[in-house]
Amino acid sequence: MVFFALLLVLMFLALVVQHLIAPVPMLGARVLLMQMVMLYGALALPLPGMLAVTFAGGLMWDALHTQWAGDNVGERQVEIAMGWSIVLYAALGTIMNGFRPLFLRGRWEIHCLLTGICTSAMVLAEYLMLTLRRQPIAFVFDLPVWWKIGGAGVLATLLAPLFFFLLNYVALLTGYDPQPEQKPRTLQR
Amino acid sequence: MIKDKLNYIIGGGFFLVLIGVFVFFSSPVRTQRVQAGFLGMISPFLKQGSGLQKKYTGLREGLRTLEQLDGEVKRLRVANKELSATNQMLRGLEAENNRLRNSLGYQEKAVFQLMPARIIARDASTWYQKIVIDRGKAELIEPDMPVLTPEGLVGKTTVVGEHSSQVVLISDENCRVSASIEGTREQGIVKGERAAGAGMPAIGLGFLSKQAVKTKTVRIGANVFTSGVGGVFPYGVMIGKVRELKERELDGYATLTPAVDFSAIEDVFVVVGETK
Repeated sequence: MVFFALLLVLMFLALVVQHLIAPVPMLGARVLLMQMVMLYGALALPLPGMLAVTFAGGLMWDALHTQWAGDNVGERQVEIAMGWSIVLYAALGTIMNGFRPLFLRGRWEIHCLLTGICTSAMVLAEYLMLTLRRQPIAFVFDLPVWWKIGGAGVLATLLAPLFFFLLNYVALLTGYDPQPEQKPRTLQR
Repeated sequence: MIKDKLNYIIGGGFFLVLIGVFVFFSSPVRTQRVQAGFLGMISPFLKQGSGLQKKYTGLREGLRTLEQLDGEVKRLRVANKELSATNQMLRGLEAENNRLRNSLGYQEKAVFQLMPARIIARDASTWYQKIVIDRGKAELIEPDMPVLTPEGLVGKTTVVGEHSSQVVLISDENCRVSASIEGTREQGIVKGERAAGAGMPAIGLGFLSKQAVKTKTVRIGANVFTSGVGGVFPYGVMIGKVRELKERELDGYATLTPAVDFSAIEDVFVVVGETK
């Protein structure tokens, strides 16, 4: 419970810090810190915890990024309704949670890669949602778009081991073992 | 078996909560209220973070030799004198312009009432172009107020918190501005590109007449100003310069270089009213 609460606080702080990090030069891709902490939570916590962190993550993201459209005063409408990020994050969180048995046994490599894939999927889904919402509907998939989508995933994959290590350490400090089935490593002769 | 059942119940409960969320946020008023509340909650942290970032960059950039500083002071003194002189001259021209307008029966051109604001955060998402400023409801900021710098138009306020507001930049596809090209009768709509590259964002001016592009009535490098149509942006604010022209199937289209470097601005002004 302490770790769960701490994870929510860390997600909030990651969201703040995320605002201070500029896009990666040349790529234009963003470092999505909050989403990384959330995906770790989806992995380290059981189903109710996963749903709670994805709910909190989606709500915080939408509260800050729901866009208002309308050209004239008094014509403002929400572009993509609040709550869609919760659906997206919960779906991706479920995929992460599906790989939890492997994580419990002490493996993390595939999960780092999965963090990158899920991050790219989030950016792609956001792009598709706003493309379908805006008129005229035009699926522009040029190089800058792919760099933004893929770049975010690559950055997440590269940063994930560090995040997993630090958050595992924090979890153990709070008395929660995220990988209880991990066998102690022994040197085989 | 029991665990599976429990998971189904939890999943079902989550689904119901989700429906509740969609129903709750179906009202724009409630959405705006929640957004404003969350912005108010996060903005003290953003202010602190932005202050720390400024201190750090200030420290990094502030390490200069005395010689460099001396040179800079001299340069700034000269620039200051030049600007004072220009300002003096423009004041004279403004007065003359107003006199002439009056004599022609026009209303004296309104001067904006501006509220200075500091940028405390830039948008963290990939597809939106927004900034957060440190002024909100308490400073009489309202949604849909134009935001500008001395160089030109920046955007308009959207979500307004107690002491902070979100500003959607003109480089965002959602911020549309009616504009006119200097020296021509051409008018169109300026909007950002959906997926601009990593560098300076390009903005486009659409709905120009095809004739203007064909006959080159519109020149490359021509200034583009707000036309004042639509009720949000005042007339005559600089938007950018024409960089490229092309003829589309139904209209003419100009790619613009924005007058404002959105990645470098630190302070902006919100147009809170007009003074007569």
